[in-house]
Amino acid sequence: MSPHDCRSCCMNRRECLKFVSASALGAALLLPGRSSRAVEKAELAPDDFVDPAALRPKPAVRIAATFLEMPRPYWLGWPGTTYDLETHQKRYQSALDESAQRLGVQVSMEAAPISSEEAVTAWVKKVATQPPDALLVMLQHMQCWNWATRIAKETGIPLLVFAPVGTAFTGHIDNGSRAGRVHVISTLDWSAVEDALRMVKAKRLFEETRLLWIRSNQRNETVLDRLGVKVRAIPRDTFNQEFDKQPATDEVKQVAADFAKGAEKIVEPTDEDVVNCARAYVAAKRLMASETANGLSMDCLGMVGARLVPTPPCGAWTMLQDQGITAGCEADLFGAISMMLTSYLLDRPGYMNDPVPETYHNSLIAAHCTSGTRLDGFDRPPAPYILRDHSESSLGVSTQVLWPKDQPTTLVRFTSPHEMIIDTGTVLANVDTPPAGGCRTSVEIMMDDVEDCRDVRGFHQVVVLGNHRRILEDFCELYGIKHIRSPRHSTFAEGDSV
Amino acid sequence: MSPRDTTLLLLLLAAAGNLAGAEPIPIGSPGFPPSSVDAAGRLVEDWGTVDIQLSGEGIVDGQARLSPIKLDDVIPAAQAVSEHGAVRMTRTVYRAPIFPEGVDVLQVGLSGTGEKSVDVLMTLDISAGVQLGRRTARIGGRTVLVLPSDAAASQQLLDWGYYDESVSLPGWGKPEGKCDPAFTNIRAGMGGVPIVYQFTVAPGSQADVVLGLCESHWAEAGQRPLRCQVEGAAIQTVDPVAKWGQHKPGTLLFRARDANGDGRLEVSVRPAPRAPDRNPILNVIWLFAPGESPPLEKLIAGQCNDLALRYVDVGGQNDQSVFPPGKLEFRVRLEKDGTQELTFLVACTGGSAPVPELSDWDNDSLLRAARDVWRDWPKDH
Repeated sequence: MSPHDCRSCCMNRRECLKFVSASALGAALLLPGRSSRAVEKAELAPDDFVDPAALRPKPAVRIAATFLEMPRPYWLGWPGTTYDLETHQKRYQSALDESAQRLGVQVSMEAAPISSEEAVTAWVKKVATQPPDALLVMLQHMQCWNWATRIAKETGIPLLVFAPVGTAFTGHIDNGSRAGRVHVISTLDWSAVEDALRMVKAKRLFEETRLLWIRSNQRNETVLDRLGVKVRAIPRDTFNQEFDKQPATDEVKQVAADFAKGAEKIVEPTDEDVVNCARAYVAAKRLMASETANGLSMDCLGMVGARLVPTPPCGAWTMLQDQGITAGCEADLFGAISMMLTSYLLDRPGYMNDPVPETYHNSLIAAHCTSGTRLDGFDRPPAPYILRDHSESSLGVSTQVLWPKDQPTTLVRFTSPHEMIIDTGTVLANVDTPPAGGCRTSVEIMMDDVEDCRDVRGFHQVVVLGNHRRILEDFCELYGIKHIRSPRHSTFAEGDSV
Repeated sequence: MSPRDTTLLLLLLAAAGNLAGAEPIPIGSPGFPPSSVDAAGRLVEDWGTVDIQLSGEGIVDGQARLSPIKLDDVIPAAQAVSEHGAVRMTRTVYRAPIFPEGVDVLQVGLSGTGEKSVDVLMTLDISAGVQLGRRTARIGGRTVLVLPSDAAASQQLLDWGYYDESVSLPGWGKPEGKCDPAFTNIRAGMGGVPIVYQFTVAPGSQADVVLGLCESHWAEAGQRPLRCQVEGAAIQTVDPVAKWGQHKPGTLLFRARDANGDGRLEVSVRPAPRAPDRNPILNVIWLFAPGESPPLEKLIAGQCNDLALRYVDVGGQNDQSVFPPGKLEFRVRLEKDGTQELTFLVACTGGSAPVPELSDWDNDSLLRAARDVWRDWPKDH
């Protein structure tokens, strides 16, 4: 069992430790990543504590790495005779060690640089025996590109090519970047290499994830193409039955108190609403643990419409999102997968939104009744939030999270496992309800490079703080996902519309 | 009767008894309706039955011994083993639970049992009404079969026809004005797959090829630009709405040449780079002798079809696959003690098989998907 991090827990440290120690045996049985054969469905008592940190997958991420260099000593040709190989390789080795440590990635580094065709052949054979999740080659001479190409072609393993400035021209980068399962990093900025390692880790996180798809009355399980996420469909009633079984335990009361205490203010919800919200949070954790799942997406609107629960799960979903657990709305599968992407790749929550073009300001209002609060990252302080009710039903607790103005944002949406919409913008304002109708977290965004706000693509795009276009595009290209964007130029401008 | 004959007879009777007694084995995944493998080793689906026969010198008919097995200790599967003289065939079927409905994976293993190498003709007998593409077989818009990547090489090809994974959509076009009726039909490369046609020509020869297009979905330009390529001619990228308007038939002329000298002229239409709508379309193809293409307005009006060496109403009634209908044949050479394995993906109840160009599934990831799902599936469900 990995250590529990009280800092990312909804309870205070004292309460949390109490729950963890009181339920140590139970929690150990609840790990989603447990090794099992023909699993017996876990029966959890309502007061069993489920550690949210244990709900997040913890895959082993294995990367094999090497330097590629030409036989020494260097004479002419880039990077040049003056390029100090020893010093550079020492520096990059050290940076790689630190990045691997930071990300929890296992890097298996070749003891000596590869500098011949024979050595390339041997390495290709070696990695093929137990293929790692990715290969990293660090180029130390411009003439090493052929070897990188060979390695990509002969292994078929995702390949990260770090070409420090001085080892590539435009032609190398252009051709190399267009090969499938290859990510070329031509820079002196090491953080780009760390981002690449993060991409490999995110892919592994997807592969080790089981998402509960709570809707209709079916129970089955399938696996998503390209990402490898397991999607377990369970009947919608499962959740409200779990909720009904969930009493207001000490954990529930503590979660409710913390959630209320953290709010800037509470507008509509009563104390009972907040306790119900915490019950939904705890019930959701228990459900995920019992199904060996790591995230969920639920037909919440359908449940509210049928009055099956006294509270929509909006507030509970905020708490889960802040702990890195994907909690999606309306059983929108690819909305949830998009939220998972921001969690796994960017280490921060996003929220899926209903997009409203604001035609007077030519902006986009992104609105939903839930949003994570740790917009800057799971380990960063939360953004201010107000507890409201779910506006469409006037029930329960949802959050109006106040997004920081003038900050960059990204809108991302998987339309399928094969395609992603990526747009960026800047936060203009938080829109209050009232005077607006619609959802409680409502953020007005000035889109970048979209001439007409009516052209913004997608629905339930996930809004996330920061401009992450580059790493998202790189992730797509490494894993064969097509990335698209909203049209730069107005599709209305030349009278082309119907 | 000699002891040898008696033994043979007993073996035959035992095999017959085994065949008569073998129950079909269901093949499924958690929560989905099963397919089945019958006593003869045939895979039975809601759209038809997939059977495999072997022929060739030294190869005889063989009866299947069917048994349930578990792959990787957890994946339920069926295995049918049959002896065919110089060849042993092992058919293994399991369900890969891929989103959304799953797909049945049929692995056909052939191993040589004789003293020398053997050429095997493997015939895949599938239901009537199936249209073959380069890597897939379809019934209407449903992909029911994905073929091994090198399977097409042994197929006999017709003189012309489509060679792709696109779908026919008759009546999709709404051309305005008097025009050739073929403009009402299309083939469409759903999801971005290319539309590809091949025509038999004299090796290295030249031809005029005219493509007819009519965009009837998009009203605004910029949505479905197309990249049209005809072998030996310059690529033309066209946005039909920008060039001709919605519902307006248009044509593009290509001075083509069998550039690779293989005696087949290839025509393809793909989505242009960064096209918002990734589904390419094509309405008509005319093939003329070099320099003999008539005025394009006459072609659009449907007045010169008789002059064409080939006139294709793309997606219309007389359109055809370049693959002949009926059985699929694969030639496999087995060296002494050699083995070969071919994997087919077969659509299961209500689903489609994943089109290779649009998916990332391979043998390893399909098996891993099944293993992961079965491993953690609760016993009580």
